[in-house]
Amino acid sequence: MSRKVTNYVKIEGNLRWESIWYLAKRELLAYVRNKTRIITSIAQSILFLFVFGLGGFNTQTPSINGVEVSSLAFTASGIAAMAVLFSGVFGGLGIIRDKLFGFMNELLVAPVSRRTLMIGKTLGVALQTLVQFMLITILSASLGFYGYDLSLIWRVAATIPAGLLFSLGVVGIGMTVSTRLTDFQGFGLIQTFLIMPMFWLSGALILFPEQFRLIMMLNPISYGVDIFRFILLGVSVFPFWLDLLVLTGFGALLISIGAYSFTRMEIN
Amino acid sequence: MTENVIEVRNLTKVYEEGDVLAVDDISFNIKKGEIFALLGPNGAGKTTTISMLSTLLRPTEGEAMVNSHKIREEPDMIRKSIGVVFQEPSLDGDMTGWENLELHAVLYGMPKKERREKIREVLELVSLNDKADMYVKNYSGGMKRRLEIARGLIHTPRVLFLDEPTLGLDPQTRRKIWEKIIELNSGELNMTILITTHYMEEADELADRICIMDHGKIIALDTSENLKRQLSGDIIEIVFEEIEDFSKIPHIISELKKIQGVKDISMGTKHENNQGSENQFKMPPGMKNINPEIMRKKMNEILLDPEKFLKATQKFPMTAQMFEKAPYDVKERVANQFKDSELIEDLPPKIKNTLKKILSGEYKKEKQMREPGLTISCENGGKLISDIIQKINDLNSIKIKTIHMHNPTLEDVFLFYTGSQIREESSGKMEGIKNHIKMRQLRQK
Repeated sequence: MSRKVTNYVKIEGNLRWESIWYLAKRELLAYVRNKTRIITSIAQSILFLFVFGLGGFNTQTPSINGVEVSSLAFTASGIAAMAVLFSGVFGGLGIIRDKLFGFMNELLVAPVSRRTLMIGKTLGVALQTLVQFMLITILSASLGFYGYDLSLIWRVAATIPAGLLFSLGVVGIGMTVSTRLTDFQGFGLIQTFLIMPMFWLSGALILFPEQFRLIMMLNPISYGVDIFRFILLGVSVFPFWLDLLVLTGFGALLISIGAYSFTRMEIN
Repeated sequence: MTENVIEVRNLTKVYEEGDVLAVDDISFNIKKGEIFALLGPNGAGKTTTISMLSTLLRPTEGEAMVNSHKIREEPDMIRKSIGVVFQEPSLDGDMTGWENLELHAVLYGMPKKERREKIREVLELVSLNDKADMYVKNYSGGMKRRLEIARGLIHTPRVLFLDEPTLGLDPQTRRKIWEKIIELNSGELNMTILITTHYMEEADELADRICIMDHGKIIALDTSENLKRQLSGDIIEIVFEEIEDFSKIPHIISELKKIQGVKDISMGTKHENNQGSENQFKMPPGMKNINPEIMRKKMNEILLDPEKFLKATQKFPMTAQMFEKAPYDVKERVANQFKDSELIEDLPPKIKNTLKKILSGEYKKEKQMREPGLTISCENGGKLISDIIQKINDLNSIKIKTIHMHNPTLEDVFLFYTGSQIREESSGKMEGIKNHIKMRQLRQK
């Protein structure tokens, strides 16, 4: 008997853009139709904003590299990054749902390459994440957290590409994990041991003193938070080029791992 | 000259993890326009076979051609030319029926103009056109199944794979789906259909040919009619009027055996037994390759052990029927076994009531019948039956009380091929379930 470990059959072939678009559209439609999800995430953001922005957890005005910034602006930009992290990872985890409810079978038996499926799914979740993130950014910008001046419009606009770049890596995390999980029980595990530490150690809501900066530097999420601060507040912990570099590398790496896991994924 | 749409050669699948031989060297052909059923108990390897043919799984050994494409070499060509309806639901509940079909059409590379028309057409075919804009999560089980069949048809496949299409549906819905399947197969569409099922009547009703699988192997492959014929043609059961002189019976048997077409005659019928209670168990007709001695021993074992008896009633609904027909002394013996045992509560209600009645003395001892009977297995029973009656009347020795003829059912065939295996596994039901779960987990990895 031959020792062949792989059970899946690979479909070679080019990317099919129409398929990718329809797959992405499916994710977007699912997001828009799920009103409770939109409402809960906004409510959660407002709660965080209220507690951390006004509640006095930050007893002194937060300062980034010696520059004092408004507590509300600091918190709002952190929450925007939080939206990307949560929505991206859980969107990527949506694959488990497809697997459990059998829809993945329908996708896998279709005559399209796994890469097409993977890109469609990733794009969909990234766009979903972007919508979520923009809702919060526009809300906080219109409340005046980032000040009212002429540059506000382009600053908000500039967060779009930054948010998209950031979300790719995050979606990659969700994808990679979900191709290995077979039920929802892993969700709590991921929440506790992956998302929460990454979020709290990123400086999104609480900035660590200088001597603990290394923790932040090792966490890729910190650079996502930082790039938003750079764009919206004009000050950042790390230089802009470093943010860009790390996020690009992180995104490319996680998407590749995600794609690899996805093409190797096996199912009934 | 009919072309083979599917050709399977020595197909084998081993799940490395767990070392399960799911499909063991199977070969068969499916002709164009045929409905071909894979019939077998759970875990027989049906789904694995269909997964390999639909190029979801890679075979460990062997090769198969679907629409003259090799499954190893041209999976995408095969996928375009087949429609698959999975055993488990595979719809997105958060999309409408129409959207589910539209995504499918896009994935199968259909041009935009064609899509709209085709989706409408298939929705019409499964009578769901008025439900197209409903979210699929609000569909009933039958509607979901029909939508899945419709989806499988959008890209006009040449073969349709249906994996347990009526699993868990009510009888009316099942019948509706059967009608749709027959409709697809007949007329202009003349679609080739490969269906897996563990419902005997489904295979009997639909399939042109039936392939019985068990433990990954093909154990029988023929038309439903032939499978039944193979078993033993027709069964004629004759019960005679009460007689005093049993010595006439052997003479009658030897005379009847002279009639052409009579294959086998045995004393006694299902309905009546004139032998001792030890031998009261009668083999189902045609199960010649199972040693009756072993069966009898098994049977006695079951009758003596309440726990085994309980297990048997749970595993084989047949047991309940057999019990009903058993002579009083056998029933009484079983009742005594269950005396003071709590296991009695777990028995099927019918048996439980009988046993309780016996124990409380309510059940009057039946008058034991003293009427001899014969079971004749023969070809073409309809024609022979008059010859047989004639012959018996000619002998002028004994009067016929009742005469009864039936065909072996597909269930007889199925049990004949797969039943023995299940019976010999003493570890019972749990083992079977565990195996099934194991197989499923392996498939999902």
